[in-house]
Amino acid sequence: MVPLHFSHFQSLLLFALVISLAFGTLGRRKPVERVKYAAWSFAMFVLVGIALGWLMYPFSK
Amino acid sequence: MFEENSQPPAARDVSAERDEQKTAGAADSVTSSLEAVETADKSAETNGGEVSSAARAVAVALAGWLLPGLGHALLKMWGRALAIFLTIGFLVYLGAGMRGNVFEPGGEDAFARLGYIADAGAGSFYFVARAMEYEGPDVSHADGDYGTRFLATAGVLNLLAALHAYEAARGRKA
Repeated sequence: MVPLHFSHFQSLLLFALVISLAFGTLGRRKPVERVKYAAWSFAMFVLVGIALGWLMYPFSK
Repeated sequence: MFEENSQPPAARDVSAERDEQKTAGAADSVTSSLEAVETADKSAETNGGEVSSAARAVAVALAGWLLPGLGHALLKMWGRALAIFLTIGFLVYLGAGMRGNVFEPGGEDAFARLGYIADAGAGSFYFVARAMEYEGPDVSHADGDYGTRFLATAGVLNLLAALHAYEAARGRKA
C-alpha cells in the first residue's frame, strides 16, 4: 500500500470532514438538517482545532 | 286459568326479572373472565414481543459492529448504512495508509489496552487495517500518530453507529 503523507492541517481537515459527515448522517433525519449539522460540526472541529493549536503555541518553545 | 303457571302475572314478572338478572350476572362474569384471559394473552404476547424485539436489536447491533453499516442495512436504512460503511472504510484506509498503530490484544499498559478496544470497535475492518499495514506502524512521524487516531476514531465511530442501530431497532428515536 502506498504510504500517505499529510500535513497537520490537512490531517485536521480530513478528520473534521469525515467525522462531520458521519455525525450529520447519524444525528439528523432530513437531508437539509444533515447538511447544516455536518457543516456546523466541520466548522467547529476546524475552529476549535486551530484555537487549541494557538493556545498551545507558547508552550512549544 | 293459572294451571300452567301457578303464580299470578305480577309474581311471574318478578320471577322473570330475577332470572334475567341472574343470566345478566352470569354473562357479566363470563365477559369479565374472557377479558381477563384476553388481557393475560396480550400481556404474554407483549412480553414475548419485547424479548424478541430486544434480541433482534442486539443481533442488529452485533451485525453493525462486525461489518460497519450492516446493522442499518438490516433495518433498511440504506443511506445511513452506506455512509457508515464508507466513513469507517475511509478512516481505516487513511489510518493504515498513514502507518498508524494498530493495537493488538494483551497490551502492556492501559493506553495499549484502551487502544485495542478502540481499534477492535471497527469489527472486521480491524483485520483489514492489520492486513493493509503489512510494513508495520511508524509513529516516529506525525503521519503515523495521526493514523493511530484515525484508526481509533474508526472503531469508536463504528461502536456509536452500532448503538444507533440498536436504538433504531428498539423503535426509539434515532
